[in-house]
Amino acid sequence: EIQWGEDGRPFHFLFYTGKQSYYSLMHETYEKVLNVQKHQDQLTDQDQPSQKEKKNLAGSRWLTKIELEEMLLEKLSDNDYLRFIQLLQKLVTLPCGDIEEKYIQKFSKEVPAQLQKVVIEPLKYNEQGVAFSTGEGMRKTARATAVVYDNGTGKVTVNGIDIVHYFPVLQDREQLLFPFQFLDRVGKHDMVCTVSGGGRSAQAGAIRLASAKALRSFVTEKEVEFMRQAGLLTVDPRVKERKKPGQEGARRKFTWKKR
Amino acid sequence: MAAPSAAGLGRRLRAWLPRLTQVRWSRYNPSFLEPEVNKELYQKPWEELSEEEKEKMELKAVRPIKAAPPNVSSSVFSDPVISKFTNMMMKNGNKVLARSLMAQTLEAIKRKQLEKYHKAPEDQKEAIECNPYIIFHQALKNCQPIIGLSNITKGGKTYQVPVPLKDNRKRFLAMKWLITECRENKNRRMLMPEKLSQELLQAFNNEGPIIKKKHVLHKMAEANRAYAHFRWW
Repeated sequence: EIQWGEDGRPFHFLFYTGKQSYYSLMHETYEKVLNVQKHQDQLTDQDQPSQKEKKNLAGSRWLTKIELEEMLLEKLSDNDYLRFIQLLQKLVTLPCGDIEEKYIQKFSKEVPAQLQKVVIEPLKYNEQGVAFSTGEGMRKTARATAVVYDNGTGKVTVNGIDIVHYFPVLQDREQLLFPFQFLDRVGKHDMVCTVSGGGRSAQAGAIRLASAKALRSFVTEKEVEFMRQAGLLTVDPRVKERKKPGQEGARRKFTWKKR
Repeated sequence: MAAPSAAGLGRRLRAWLPRLTQVRWSRYNPSFLEPEVNKELYQKPWEELSEEEKEKMELKAVRPIKAAPPNVSSSVFSDPVISKFTNMMMKNGNKVLARSLMAQTLEAIKRKQLEKYHKAPEDQKEAIECNPYIIFHQALKNCQPIIGLSNITKGGKTYQVPVPLKDNRKRFLAMKWLITECRENKNRRMLMPEKLSQELLQAFNNEGPIIKKKHVLHKMAEANRAYAHFRWW
């Protein structure tokens, strides 16, 4: 697409910067910021209180770098994108930022809260009529499945062995009881789990996730939301970092010798 | 370098991670928030929350949340300060040993306080504090320095400049002094829990070598007051 006329002179005044649409966008946004500050000064001159209607930032997010690139038809660097987002945030946090709402809406998108809606399975009933539900969990390399039964005494069995013998460390047993203690249902459920892989702490974390997932079917939606906000229902993505060549471990470098 | 991969559904919807690894990065996407384990905060009805807390709750409803770490639990026995102290006492990743030492220390404090309680006359019985957690927290608070010294090089010479410390730094210094004191200045036969309980009880009563160290630091800072204007932050 030719951006200069017959005499060789470019149409856009910022053509020689290389990223003309990005810089023109930055100029426009900064103009809006100055406008808002001028409006605020006018309001304080006339002794009127500045409006404090806060826009709900929780439900919206800014455009990602790829979407911004598509909008401007130009390549951006990470620093450029960051600077633009910082300017937008400054515009939003100023007290009279609502004047420029239309401009801001071009660059923000709604994050539907229903994105994370997970289907809660209904309770299953076994031959004796006792309700139970299953859950799966993982942590590092450990994989666990848990079956939580209702009307229980609080007995927990792991791979056919009682938890007191399988997990001699207090910290692991605390982790297993965490979901039950959080929902105040410590002595009311029985649990049978199978776990493989990983180490002592990873297996405990995997069973904790599996039991939390299984308990979702026993509990109201509000409590499921509380469990999620307590961090019981997220898979822990932390794994062992790989060792790199030229270093002794993942981060540790070889001993530095001056000569 | 290993490229970081974002955990979460739909890569396009989250912010795009830079191609080169940063030095400090985490496996979580930057939009993940810290989990809140305390049960009581969730049982508060909607009207009692202040404005800030309401905003935080709304934000939490939309954003994903990180998994709770294995040290943390919603039971009454888990305490963030105690976990931090246990991690600092740990050597070579032996958390089992560190945790058992901590438990033995708390038990030793309780025993000593109970002895004192049973021997004391009726009117002084209420003044004796028996809860080891309260003693631990109070002792740490008594050990925390208020100002610290930092080395600033100006004109070729290095000066010790008095500088205000952040909360985290104060807590770290108090815990570090406690641990080094217990590891070095003890008799051959004395075990760590006993020595630690002794030091903690002394710090609780504002006596002992750690409180002395704190006072020495304060005096040094007072003596170097003249260089206070060298600080630029």
